[in-house]
Amino acid sequence: MSLVIRNLQKVIPLRRIPLRRRIEILQKILHVQQFDLGIICVSNRNIQLLNSTYRQQNVPTDVLSFPFHENLKAGELPQPSLRDEYNLGDVFLGVEYIYQQCQENGEDYYSILTVTAAHGLCHLLGYRHNTEAEWEQMYQKEKQILEELNGITGANLQPLTKNHF
Amino acid sequence: MLLARALRAAAALRPLPPRLPPAPLLRRPAALLCDARPFTRSLWLLRGGAAGTQRPGLLRPPRASPAGVSCGCGGLHTEGDKAFAEFLIDEIKEEKKIQKHKSLPKMSGGWELEVHGTEAKLLRKIAGERITVTFNINNSIPPTFDEEPQEGQKADEQEPELTSTPNFVVEVTKDDPKQTLVLDCHYPEDEIGHGEEEESDIFSIREVSFQPTGESDWKDTNYTLSTDSLDWALYDHLMDFLADRGVDNTFADELIELSTALEHQEYIRFLEDLKSFVKCQ
Repeated sequence: MSLVIRNLQKVIPLRRIPLRRRIEILQKILHVQQFDLGIICVSNRNIQLLNSTYRQQNVPTDVLSFPFHENLKAGELPQPSLRDEYNLGDVFLGVEYIYQQCQENGEDYYSILTVTAAHGLCHLLGYRHNTEAEWEQMYQKEKQILEELNGITGANLQPLTKNHF
Repeated sequence: MLLARALRAAAALRPLPPRLPPAPLLRRPAALLCDARPFTRSLWLLRGGAAGTQRPGLLRPPRASPAGVSCGCGGLHTEGDKAFAEFLIDEIKEEKKIQKHKSLPKMSGGWELEVHGTEAKLLRKIAGERITVTFNINNSIPPTFDEEPQEGQKADEQEPELTSTPNFVVEVTKDDPKQTLVLDCHYPEDEIGHGEEEESDIFSIREVSFQPTGESDWKDTNYTLSTDSLDWALYDHLMDFLADRGVDNTFADELIELSTALEHQEYIRFLEDLKSFVKCQ
């Protein structure tokens, strides 16, 4: 129902509407526009703390997903019985990390934010990339939704997990 | 005043914060502080003359109070006032010692600063628009929550830094049409410096309204948009609108620094005035 964007950091400027437009399209492509979704933009320091707390990896990263429905099989949509369960969860975007990566690779910041959000959104829907089989499934989903997004917006976005395995 | 509504609302929302004495004062017994000050005592000796006799003065009250004595100012001076003044001298010294900014820090982005007492205005012009950000440092320090010191940590390491997070009002004025868009912005309450995983924006917009340019009084007949139940897309447009005019997270962060410096400056000034008043200089 609601897409809520929070910007908790001051390091990298962020315009919310360009990000919101693309994520709303992704929600429609994934048929999850009836679910609440939180996109939280944080600094390196903040995402490092989360990464350390929840994944025992004390380094900054680009994205961390916190699914509301934790036991979804990849590609399965949640089946809520209560109004409060119409919630996918939260995606934390390490915007400072993403920005630095974009600077190093000469990539467009908002494009990579979108690609990273798409990756996080797939995690909320049960996709994983711990094994090659899981990765293949996730990669194909990311590829599919980004191709649809590209068709609508004219962009040329590639999945984040392209060269993961 | 255009801003009175928002600023009054802000004052009502926040209880008066407790002012913490500086750390060193908490650790030093009062007697030691008094013994170290012959200056204050000599000032008091001045008033009695060489033989300690009192001469009648026009400004002196006809009878000295049993609780104290008086000087030429006509006011009462008690032992309590003396101790109070001594306390203030030490307090001012300590506050000056921890003062981060001797002059107010500059905001980046070409903002001009005007200060009128506790109210500050930041002004900027972009193309045909005039952007004004107003805040008042009164009641701008949120209450601090006492936390038990961790084992092995000294009490003074727990002393929180006071941070001023005033509500601020952004006014965007266009020449045509002659209207001002007024956005009432707040910092998140009760969350400053608490926890690392807070999910509140650095600042938020609470209310939005129009004010005809030149009208200083707020009218209740003007529509006020509350963002409590606002569509999130509209809210994000408003946040981007502000960011395009230089009011973004960086601005909000710098405003905290400016406001904290101004609050501290005004606090020291108040203590100095209080000391002069009590000491009758």
